[in-house]
Amino acid sequence: MIKTADRQTVFLALINVIVLVAGALLAGANFVDSYNLQVMAAQVPELGLLALGVALAMISGNGGIDLSGIALANLAGITAFLVASRILPPGDAPMAFSWTFAGIALCVGLAGGLINGLMIAYTGLTPLIATLGTQLLFTGIAVWLTNGSSVSLGYIPPLDDFGNLPVLGVPLCFALFVLIAGLIGYLLRFTPFGVKLMLLGSNEKAARYGGIPVKRMIVITYAICGILASVAGIVIASRAGSVKWDYGSSYVLIAILIAVLGGVKPEGGYGRVLCVLLAATALQMLSSLFNFLGISNFFRDLAWGVLLLALLASARVDLSYWFRPAR
Amino acid sequence: MKTLAKLAGSAMIAGAMVAGAAMAQDKQSITTVVKITGEGWFVRMDEGVKAFDADNEAIDAVQVGPAQADAAQQARIIEDLVAKGVSAIAVVPMDPAALEGVLRRAQARGIKVIAHEGDSIVNADADIEAFDNAAFGRKINDGLAECMGGEGKWTSFVGSLGSLTHNIWADAGAESAAANHPGMELVAAKNESFNDANKAYDKAKEILRAYPDIKGFQGSSAIDVIGIGRAVEEAGLVGKVCVYGLGLPKDTGPYLESGAVNRIYFWDPKDAGYVMNVVAAKVLAGEEIADGADLGVPGYNAVTVTQGPGKGIIIQGAAWVDVGKDEYKNYPF
Repeated sequence: MIKTADRQTVFLALINVIVLVAGALLAGANFVDSYNLQVMAAQVPELGLLALGVALAMISGNGGIDLSGIALANLAGITAFLVASRILPPGDAPMAFSWTFAGIALCVGLAGGLINGLMIAYTGLTPLIATLGTQLLFTGIAVWLTNGSSVSLGYIPPLDDFGNLPVLGVPLCFALFVLIAGLIGYLLRFTPFGVKLMLLGSNEKAARYGGIPVKRMIVITYAICGILASVAGIVIASRAGSVKWDYGSSYVLIAILIAVLGGVKPEGGYGRVLCVLLAATALQMLSSLFNFLGISNFFRDLAWGVLLLALLASARVDLSYWFRPAR
Repeated sequence: MKTLAKLAGSAMIAGAMVAGAAMAQDKQSITTVVKITGEGWFVRMDEGVKAFDADNEAIDAVQVGPAQADAAQQARIIEDLVAKGVSAIAVVPMDPAALEGVLRRAQARGIKVIAHEGDSIVNADADIEAFDNAAFGRKINDGLAECMGGEGKWTSFVGSLGSLTHNIWADAGAESAAANHPGMELVAAKNESFNDANKAYDKAKEILRAYPDIKGFQGSSAIDVIGIGRAVEEAGLVGKVCVYGLGLPKDTGPYLESGAVNRIYFWDPKDAGYVMNVVAAKVLAGEEIADGADLGVPGYNAVTVTQGPGKGIIIQGAAWVDVGKDEYKNYPF
């Protein structure tokens, strides 16, 4: 198991390096200059945070998945803006507004995540169905609040800086993403909660008989997913400068792809945050490279499919056998 | 040895993925970003972009767009184009508000931004609108009035009461009819079709029952005329009722053939694609586009220029096209 895990990390890291080198060779120096690296880094968090949420849900087992992530992210952004701009106008105190905005968004995310967790833990609904339902619920509320049109935030300097400004060469939103990923990685690996979550995901029955509070664990896990989604919502609002109910509707499947590409077991019980992070950056660089080369976006989907298959194969097939020099 | 094998295997995969990719070029480049790739409307727009590319040796013009209709995907493409350092970006925004941030960053990097159908965008150097919406509504109604002989009951359809342009067209049509043709009587104005041909069909059937002597329909959504045409056909009123409105040649073709729909009005995305690149090239060259300028594209021979919501300008053409039974085949979209 440990050997497979390491091989996966190495493989993903290699993919990152290869795409970067291929980009430098094919797309020219522009691809690896600091501006493009920053742009690519700033694009990662939206999807990366949602993918971390999906990964956590998957690890918790019992067919765990979170389809409501992007819907909750948009709802958090919309609610936070509508409420915050009523409390204090963004023009007067941009910094205070930004913090209020972020605070409300996190509360909405926590509430949404708790709804998911309570439904799955106490009504016994399959996560797939439960989060599909809440996805529609969150989307519906967002449409109702905005009449379906996008809400423009206007130019709010602190929020815009958070979404785009590099500090010491690293975009702030990417730094926050890495920090959050680090926290969750620590949570999974070194805390009793993480150990229990892996056990729960591997074998729910054994976990229950082993005295693990299954329901509480599930509620906490999905609550964290909700908070992650709301952070994604804050990032989206700060980068797009507007919030809308259907922003990122294509993200649901891509987030799942990243989690699986990162080696998280869809049946539960295993997943590494570092691998999910590497998968997210690999997909981002690949997608940016294709945009640089003007390659059709349909081909991008194809390439992601090939990448996923290659990764699954690399975890199961020992390539070294075929490349061993003849003796 | 194991690492080497892994490297070799991975390199093969990466090599296969980037095979066939072209090298980036250094001449002036304009990239047109559309809402979605592969849809009939934007395939036609691509023809215009390709034509511009062929006509201008010194400029590289290409069209790209996301595989899914998602504002987030469109923003990501533009973000990468900014990093790539294209000279100008021409965009048909999925959601204008969602692009403001990335377009501001594009402009900050010295990239020229041209928009189409996005007159609310602040961070653009120019926005191009195919025509004045009120004039377009009057134009449709003039055709309808001529068919009706200036007499009789008529009604109008809109996609929804919330869609701004549809309402401008329908209102302008009603004003024009009231002012110029006192014999025309507007009944049950502005029926909502919700951009659904079946709902337009149901509504049209109701109206034909309620007003058996109705003579004319003015549609606004591209599918209004299809639903109305079907209802007219089934009621056996072809030739007795006039149907005019926005429509797409390929979709409306069968009804134009049968005579259930008399004439459709639209604008040609090919010309829009071409003219976006013309404007981008002019902005890049530092040329000013003055009121009444000729952009050398049909329908954009004497454009109206007004100040936009930001620093940019709004350029308005008169680029409507109207076709009947005989001409619609010239427009394959």
